[in-house]
Amino acid sequence: MIETLQNLALGFSVALSPHVLFYAVLGCIVGTLVGVLPGLGPLAGISLLLPLTFGLSPTTAIVLLAGIYYGAMYGGSTTSILMRIPGEAASVMTCVDGYAMTQKGRAGPALAIAALGSFVAGTLSVVALMLLAPPLAAFALRFGPPEYTALLLLGLIILAYMSSGAMPKTLAMATLGLVLGTIGIDAMSGFIRFTHGVTELGDGIGIVPVAVGLFGLSEILLTAGKDTPPQVYKPKLRELVPSGEDVRRSIAPTLRGSVLGFFIGIIPGSAHIISSFVSYGIEKRISKRPEEFGHGAVEGVAGPESANNAAASGAFVPMLALGVPSGPIPAVMMAALMIHGVAPGPLLMEQQPALVWGFIASMYVGNIVLLILNLPMVGLFVNLLRIPYSYLYPCIVVFCVIGVYAVNSSVVDVWIMIVTGAVGYFLRKLDFDMAPVVLGLILSPMLELSLRQSLAMSAGDYGIFLHRPIAATMLAAVVMLFVLSLWPLIRGGGDWRSRVGLDEKPG
Amino acid sequence: MLRTLTALALLGLVAAPATAQTYPDRPITLVAPFPPGGVADQVGRPLGAAMEKLLKQPVVLQNKPGAGGAVGMASVAQSRPDGYTLLVALSSISIIPEADKLFNRQPAYTMDQLAPVALLSADPTVMVVKADSPWKTVKDFVEDAKKRPGQIAYASSGVYGTLHVAMEMFAVAADIKLRHVPFSGGGPAVTALLGNNVQALASGPGPVLAQIKAGTMRPLAGWGDKRIPALPDVPTFKELGYKDVEFYIWAGLFAPKGTPAPAINTLREATKKAVDDPDFKKTMENQGSPISYLDAPEFQKFWDVDAARLAVAVKKIGKVE
Repeated sequence: MIETLQNLALGFSVALSPHVLFYAVLGCIVGTLVGVLPGLGPLAGISLLLPLTFGLSPTTAIVLLAGIYYGAMYGGSTTSILMRIPGEAASVMTCVDGYAMTQKGRAGPALAIAALGSFVAGTLSVVALMLLAPPLAAFALRFGPPEYTALLLLGLIILAYMSSGAMPKTLAMATLGLVLGTIGIDAMSGFIRFTHGVTELGDGIGIVPVAVGLFGLSEILLTAGKDTPPQVYKPKLRELVPSGEDVRRSIAPTLRGSVLGFFIGIIPGSAHIISSFVSYGIEKRISKRPEEFGHGAVEGVAGPESANNAAASGAFVPMLALGVPSGPIPAVMMAALMIHGVAPGPLLMEQQPALVWGFIASMYVGNIVLLILNLPMVGLFVNLLRIPYSYLYPCIVVFCVIGVYAVNSSVVDVWIMIVTGAVGYFLRKLDFDMAPVVLGLILSPMLELSLRQSLAMSAGDYGIFLHRPIAATMLAAVVMLFVLSLWPLIRGGGDWRSRVGLDEKPG
Repeated sequence: MLRTLTALALLGLVAAPATAQTYPDRPITLVAPFPPGGVADQVGRPLGAAMEKLLKQPVVLQNKPGAGGAVGMASVAQSRPDGYTLLVALSSISIIPEADKLFNRQPAYTMDQLAPVALLSADPTVMVVKADSPWKTVKDFVEDAKKRPGQIAYASSGVYGTLHVAMEMFAVAADIKLRHVPFSGGGPAVTALLGNNVQALASGPGPVLAQIKAGTMRPLAGWGDKRIPALPDVPTFKELGYKDVEFYIWAGLFAPKGTPAPAINTLREATKKAVDDPDFKKTMENQGSPISYLDAPEFQKFWDVDAARLAVAVKKIGKVE
């Protein structure tokens, strides 16, 4: 403990030196911009800006890159809340209740809660990173393919709790997402599937174009189809600040989101994307007011936003403790270190204490910088909504097209966005929920690969899922959740159709 | 503000089409067909950094993993040949089309869709196990594997990827059967070994050197003709009596066939200078994969010979999984 404090003091002496502090602030600003632009996510942002760091010292370089990374995680929620356009995959869930709050004239509190939740989650997870990195990293590595499969199944079952609509409709949408996820070259055998000769589909269908289409474009189309144009929103200062009740209702979801996100974040791979979906599902399940979810429940903003920020910090655990590139973003940072002549490995913490602890301390600093940066911006962003819709919406469409094109420089991605936008329009007219499609699309390739890897590990024996304690525990949770979701059907008796929502009132 | 930003962004996109004189006038993408953390990444990123200084345009590495590299390689093979999409590929570029022939299926790409620009590195793969595993030598490993065929699992960079073929080459020569667990690249394969999800791994020296030095992994043998300079105590399979077990994981820069000659020449020139860049040299040395540079014509010859050798090796291994 004493040692940790000494190290942290060393870290702060590095992080607060004017030079490093300057780059931390710069990184946060750039990151926020990257996050605000639709389509351009943290990974693309870091890869694009990596070359700018070559003239810097390793410490300033990694501090700058980390600033961009969590700045983007903060900024990703802004367009989700204001315009229902997910800035990156992790903020898809924020679109649902964040935008519903905006429609009720509560964009200010939604943005503020997102920023506060991100701050709390970011800070808590740096504390955890600092105190627990080595033992946690060892635990994270035990997540092999079977554990991964179980975790993804858990994510899939969460779907059932995520949607506010009828269960059969949710399942239909999830299936659509899972099926879309099988398009492209099979990651195991190299077979080309369902591309119908369109070579660009070989990489599969991207998450960002689909999410922007289903959430953003469909919303614009729906608004355009209304009889009366929506009222232009004129925010008053007092409406920008979250009420005491907002804050009270957000505390528990933020803390739960932080813990959940952190643990999902330390697992090597791309699982961190699902942390916000899982958080949303849990919040909805345990809420006393589940009916408010989807209609502007503040918990639906606080939980997922905290989870995705905590996951961002958690991802650094295996990198710092073991020198393992645990996900795409830490891997880019490791490459940056390597280019600067620092070889990241299991001994990084011992050999480069000033760098590692300076980096950790800069994450504390960065979180504070981002909070200071983001809270005043709430007022600025909310004022964007003053722009009349006839001007605002064409701009948003242009923004979406540019953002989606920029990710892969692919026109096919833009077409995917347009087609899914149109499909999303019709599906939403029919009261289908869009979030399960996106989650299905995210999970499908990962689930398929890890399931097949697990079976390769066991030579085809499904027992592997039961012999490994972590996987078995998670699968038990899956079964339990499944039974729980069926329970009202079994116990409630009466007409089961009313329970699954087949005889919904026409609305 | 929104509109100003939009206008600026639009301006950036509607850049004039590239002409020979102005190449490059916008950012270049280097596609690494594997997830971060493997050899393609470790060579590609510093190379991009060094080329960027020379070409005065951002050179950005993009990871497009899947199917042992086939996803990324096919995407570059089919991209517009304008010199703005390049490929950092490994030896597996010659293996995957052979494997496609073996299974009699539509290839994801063919080798003649890609033109070599330069060879950057060529390292023998090295076999590693966890430091706490019972095997101290290749002999221990083979004896144990004979006792329980198909039980010892190894990770690879994908079906018929570099790390798969190297390991199967050894398994055929040693007459043992191992269990193959494919991952999407060298990075995740290293993580799988560290997490005890597999028991062995063939890897380029770069991704495992830091782990070997830290004492978390133990190298058993190398696939080279000579020992690896960074690991002078590790014997080669040839020394141990496995005559034909030789495999190099080389990394080269490719452009889609049909890229205009002036662009190719600019790239060749830039690569030639980049490999002399002190930062690039130092980075490559630090990670234990020394530069082996060959310009396009020599690289094409090297590639032809290597591809022919690997074709034989793949036929010998035959259909797996």
